[in-house]
Amino acid sequence: MIGRRRLGLGLRMVLALLLVILAGFPLYWMLNTSMTPSTQLYGGKQSFIPDFTRIGNAFGVLVTGVPFLRWMGNSAIVAIGTTALSLLLATLAAYALSRYRFVGKGPLALGFFATQMLPEALLVVPLYSLFTTLGLLNHLYGLVLVDTAFAMPVAMFVLKAAMDGINYEIEESARVDGCGPLSILQIMVVPLIAPSIAAAAVITFFDGWNEYLFATTFVSDRQSWVASTGLASFIGEFITPLDTVFSGAVVFTIPAVVFFLIMQRRIVSGLTAGSVKG
Amino acid sequence: MPSITFDKISKSFGATRVIDEFTATVPDKEFLVLLGPSGCGKSTMLRMIAGLTEITSGELRFDDIIVNNLTPKKRSIAFVFQSYALYPHMSVRSNIAFPLVMDRFRWWHHIPIVGGFARRAIMHRSDVAAKVDDVAQMLELTQLLDRKPKALSGGQRQRVALARSLVREPSVYLLDEPLSNLDAKLRTQMRAEISALHARVQKTFVYVTHDQVEAMTMGTRIIVLNAGIVQQYGLPKDIYDRPANVFVAKFIGSPPMNLFPCEVCDAQLRIGEHLVPGTERLAEILASAGLTRATLGVRAENFAVQTSASTRGHPAHVAAVEHLGAETIVGFKMGPSDGPIDVGSAATRGLYYARLPGDISLALGQNIWMEPDITGAVLFDIDSGDRLDTDEEAHVTVATR
Repeated sequence: MIGRRRLGLGLRMVLALLLVILAGFPLYWMLNTSMTPSTQLYGGKQSFIPDFTRIGNAFGVLVTGVPFLRWMGNSAIVAIGTTALSLLLATLAAYALSRYRFVGKGPLALGFFATQMLPEALLVVPLYSLFTTLGLLNHLYGLVLVDTAFAMPVAMFVLKAAMDGINYEIEESARVDGCGPLSILQIMVVPLIAPSIAAAAVITFFDGWNEYLFATTFVSDRQSWVASTGLASFIGEFITPLDTVFSGAVVFTIPAVVFFLIMQRRIVSGLTAGSVKG
Repeated sequence: MPSITFDKISKSFGATRVIDEFTATVPDKEFLVLLGPSGCGKSTMLRMIAGLTEITSGELRFDDIIVNNLTPKKRSIAFVFQSYALYPHMSVRSNIAFPLVMDRFRWWHHIPIVGGFARRAIMHRSDVAAKVDDVAQMLELTQLLDRKPKALSGGQRQRVALARSLVREPSVYLLDEPLSNLDAKLRTQMRAEISALHARVQKTFVYVTHDQVEAMTMGTRIIVLNAGIVQQYGLPKDIYDRPANVFVAKFIGSPPMNLFPCEVCDAQLRIGEHLVPGTERLAEILASAGLTRATLGVRAENFAVQTSASTRGHPAHVAAVEHLGAETIVGFKMGPSDGPIDVGSAATRGLYYARLPGDISLALGQNIWMEPDITGAVLFDIDSGDRLDTDEEAHVTVATR
């Protein structure tokens, strides 16, 4: 019995290791590529072990050659803006859909869902004309608005599912204790669904951080580019400095990973925290 | 401090009417129990008193003030929920202090973080903290103030819920089956604690339960509801001794009241094949109703049992025996034993109960002779099921004691 159990554990470890390699190898290869000279990359003789002596060359060019840090900053503004705005709207919308009965509730939920069915590319042209009319072109908050429009419904459904799970009596008790609807949402509901809010934050942050299509189309001013646009601009018509592209990609990945790691702890702790019954 | 008046209160959910023209007056400082089987509308009633559910029609008055449209907060009530509804993310202290904190809530407390600090500051203010400490001490929660609800036992959670309702000193306490999640022993204990609490705070309590033992032991007045209609409103003893109709007779009391079809035969009552000497009172009731047949209700304790044939006894046989220590509940069926003991739904068909001393020894299937004592018995109309002697008190509006 013990032997079989140990074997099972071993198998699981091997499987987990395989998955880690499968998921981690592209990241590792990205880092490795960023430290390999372009000539060597095109020459086809890339070493498996990164050449850490080239770390200065690899990342220095991002600081000196192009305003990459500024683009990163812009990305951060867009991503954080999208996250904040999406969560605010999604929380309010989710609460309304979860707790109130009103005319058009079903169609409204369907409408939220429908936004997820349309491919973004389809909307680029109409949105561009809208942005021109409203004077949103070249503004980061324009990107925040459009990213929110796409990220918010997903966050809304995540939060609504969590709110549906809250015992209604807790809210009624708060009402008896003197809470208005906004206080109930703020003091009772939001703390209780914190793990889901963290999950929704991850989703919306990545939506804003990774978004490329709208960012390239609506922002032409080089200083206002976000990192995804900037990174793509490295790929030239005649020359593509692959090592620089990859070092940019490494830098581009780091904040997103850090954000996820911060949020992940909240998400996992939430799995056990909600178990207060009766 | 208010008396509560229900004036033709009705509640419908869509086309379904769950409360039908409920009218009653509850004097101040009473312990009113709303009693009824599941789905009879008792919780809806309570929620309407609280303002958590809208009243479809009729007037609800605290003293003479119509409260139909007041928010729960403005009604000066406290509500103890079946699930206790403690706030799981707050400590016991925060839970208890919460109503006081919300009393001092300002609009700017909505600002994130700042509002959180402000609420915490209120909680630690000396007057608020003192009140919380007082209540906690009264309910023996002082040691638990820093815990989260999930680290408490069922009884402790119950007490926290009570403490939270006490702290704001409301004039009406509303309790919705607060003991149904506790085990039997703890329930008995909490019953006594809640009764003691009522005696101490001297406020109106409205208590919803489906458990007639809770109703009888705690209530100073009971409203029996069934299918949204008030069956009887009265003092526990009246409801026990003089149920308004067959439903109440069967619902109140454990075991329920025994109901026999009976017929007047000269000065005697004929139950089945046997005659019992009637009493003047019963004869009068039947005469004034102009009936010769009725349903006779006799409580289980009003039986004597003989193990040998007696002239006054009715032949019967033992179908169930429950030894409870001090007493024995004997289930019997009329007529001598006729073969094997019934099982399934046939086991309870035509089953009557007698409450006998604990030391009696009877065997299943044994033939016995039952002697009912009908001095305190009640008579019901066979068709409508209502009690025949609807005397001075109409069964809905009981005059103030």
